[in-house]
Amino acid sequence: MKSITRRAVPMVLCTVLAIAISTSLPAAGSRAPADDFARRFPDLGWEEIVSEARGQRVFFTMWGGSEPINRFVSEFVADRVRDRYGVELVMVPVTDASVFVNAVLGERLAGRISGGSVDLMWINGENFRTMRQADLLFGPYSHRLPNMRYVNTDDPAVRFDFGFPVDGFESPYGSAQFVLIYDAARVAQPPRTMGSLLDWIRANPGRFTYPAVPDFTGSVFLRHLFYHVADDPEELLGPFDPVVFDRLAPRVWETLRDIAPYLWRQGRTYPETSTAMQDLFANGEIWFDMNYNPAHAANMVEQGRYPRTTRTMVFEDGTIGANHFVAIPFNASAKAGALVVANALLDPEVQLEKSRPAVWGDFPAIDVTRLDPEMRARFAEVVRHPSSLPPEELFAVRLSELQADWLEAIEAGWVEYVLQR
Amino acid sequence: MGSRFAPCDGMKAVHTAVIAGIVVAVLLPAIPLVIWSLSGGWWFPRLLPEQWSLRSWRYLASPASRVAEATRNSVIIALVTTAVSVPLGVPAGRALGLYRFRGKRFAEALVFAPLIVPSLAVIMGVQVVLIRAGISATLIGVVVAHLLPALPYMVMVMRAVFSAYDPEYEQQARSLGATRWETLLHVTAPAILPGLVTGALFVFLISWSQYALTLLVGGGRVMTLPVLLFAFVTAGDHAMTGAVSLLFLAPALLVLGVSARMLGGRPAGVSGLEGV
Repeated sequence: MKSITRRAVPMVLCTVLAIAISTSLPAAGSRAPADDFARRFPDLGWEEIVSEARGQRVFFTMWGGSEPINRFVSEFVADRVRDRYGVELVMVPVTDASVFVNAVLGERLAGRISGGSVDLMWINGENFRTMRQADLLFGPYSHRLPNMRYVNTDDPAVRFDFGFPVDGFESPYGSAQFVLIYDAARVAQPPRTMGSLLDWIRANPGRFTYPAVPDFTGSVFLRHLFYHVADDPEELLGPFDPVVFDRLAPRVWETLRDIAPYLWRQGRTYPETSTAMQDLFANGEIWFDMNYNPAHAANMVEQGRYPRTTRTMVFEDGTIGANHFVAIPFNASAKAGALVVANALLDPEVQLEKSRPAVWGDFPAIDVTRLDPEMRARFAEVVRHPSSLPPEELFAVRLSELQADWLEAIEAGWVEYVLQR
Repeated sequence: MGSRFAPCDGMKAVHTAVIAGIVVAVLLPAIPLVIWSLSGGWWFPRLLPEQWSLRSWRYLASPASRVAEATRNSVIIALVTTAVSVPLGVPAGRALGLYRFRGKRFAEALVFAPLIVPSLAVIMGVQVVLIRAGISATLIGVVVAHLLPALPYMVMVMRAVFSAYDPEYEQQARSLGATRWETLLHVTAPAILPGLVTGALFVFLISWSQYALTLLVGGGRVMTLPVLLFAFVTAGDHAMTGAVSLLFLAPALLVLGVSARMLGGRPAGVSGLEGV
C-alpha cells in the first residue's frame, strides 16, 4: 500500500511539527540572534548604509485594506526610494499585522535567523509589545535615521507605544487620534463633551452604539469613559494600578449599563467590528461613527461611502491619540534597504504628501515647527478636507494612550459587567 | 464525449430551459457585485447607487495593484496543485475504494484528517517545516502547502469512483493482449475520467481560494489573488470588494464551465458517481 503511506506523509509531518515546535521554543528573555548586518550596524556610517541598500528589495508588510494608502505606498513612496536610493519597495498587503508577527515567530522557531520574509512592517501597540517581548525586532535603530531630527523625541507619544517603551526598536510613521464622526444634516448641534454625549444618547434612543471589544475602536471608546470618570487623568497613566481600576471601573460599567437601553437595538447587541458600524452609519441607522484615524471621515466621503455633509469632531475634554510606527524584524533580508525606507518615510516631502486628504490625510509624525519656513508654509497650505479637523484642533485636546495591561483589564471587565448583564 | 442519444424537440426545450436556469442561478449573485464595484455612493434605502465611479476598477487596472502578477501566480499554483494531486490521489483512491486491507480505517482517518483538522491549527507547523526544507517563499512551497487541504478531496472523489469500479474490465483487456500501459490508457483512464475531472475541479478551487496558507508559506514573496485582495474585503470597502470578487470569480467560473462540458457522458466500467 505504497500510495497510502505516501498520502499519510503530510499528516505525519503535521504531528512531527507540533512536537518540533513545542520543544524548540526559544527560552524567554533570550536575545534576538544577530546576523552579519546587525553585527556591523553600530560601525556603519549612514552613507555606507545607503550604498549597501542600493539594489535591495524591501518587502513592506502592512494592513492593506485602504486603496488610497496602498496607492501612496506602492506609487509615491516606492517611486521615491527607487529614484533616489535604488531600493525596490514591495508592498505586502495583509488583513491584520498580527499575521506577520506569527510569520516572523515561525521563522525564528525554524531557525531562520537571516533571510527572513519581512523587511519592514507597519506596526503599533500590542503587536509591537509582542514582538519586543519575543525579541523579534532589529534595533535599536531609530536614532541612526537622519530624518529623526524632525521628530520631537521628547514627546511621550514617540517614546512610548501604548505605554511600552519604544527604545529605538521602531521609528515613527504617522500620528492618529480618536475622533467622532457625524452627519451635519442629521445632527445640527453635536455634544462637545463625553458627559453631554451621554445625555444626547438618552435623548436620541437607538441612534448611538459602539463596537464590542475586542474591536480596536470599541476598546478605545471605553478608555475615554475611564478618562471621563477619573478624578485625575494622571492616575490612568503609568503601569496598571488595580486600586485605581477597582475604584473607577464600577462607575464606567454603571454608566454603560445605564445608557444601554438607549443604544442601537436597545443595547441588546453591539456591532462586532468598526467596519460593521460604518455600514450602520452609512445607512443612517446610527448617527455617530467613531475612528482612530482622524482622516477616516474624509476618506469615506471621497470614496462615496459617507455623505458630503459628514463632519468630524473631538471632545473639548480631550480624545486619545497615539503614533503608529514601522519596525524591522530581527531576520529581515534587506535591513539596509529597510532603514533607508524607514528614513524616507520621515522625509518632510513624504510626510507632506501623506497628510493631503486626497492621498491619505494622515497626520505627520514629524514636528512641523522643526522645518524651515518654506516647508512649514507648504504644510500650512495643505487644504483641509471639509469633513476633517485641522491638526492644531486635535493636538490641543490630545490625551495619552493607556498601557496594554489597562486595555486587557478594561476589555475583560466590559464583557463581564456590561455585555453579560 | 457527447450525449449518447439525440434528444427529441420537447426534451430539447426542457434541456435549454434547465441550462438557462443554471446559468441565471450562477450569474445572478454577480449582478449586485457589478453594481457595487461601480458605486460611488449608495445609501439605504436607494435601490441603485446615487453616484457611479470607476475608482475600484481603475485601482485594479493600475500597475500598483499587481493584479496581473497575482493572477498569473494563482493560475500556475492552482494548475500545478491539481496536476500533482492526480498521481497522488488516484492510487490512494483506488486502494481505499477497491481493496480491503488491515488498518484501512486508520489509513482513511489519516488521509481525510485535513478535512476535519482546521488548517489554522497546523499552519505554523507547516510554515516551519517548509522553511527547514528550504522551499518556503517559493511557488513549490506554496503548492506543497495547498496539497494539504486539497488532496483529501481528490482521494475522496476517487475512492467513490473506484468503489463502483469493476476491475475485471482491466483483466479482460490484459487477457486480450493489452499491455499494462494500454490497459491504463484505454480502459482505466476513460472509466475514471468523469470522477477525475470532478476531483480536479475541487482541488483547483480549493487551491484557488487559499489565503492564510499562501500568505505564511509564501511569506509575501508569492503574491496570489487572495493574498492581494482579501485585505479589501475585510476592510468593508464595498466598491473594492465587488470588483475584487468579480475578478476572483471569473477564472473559477471558467474552470467550472470547462469541467461541466467534460462531464457530459458516462463510459463503461463505472456504474455511477453515487456516494461522491
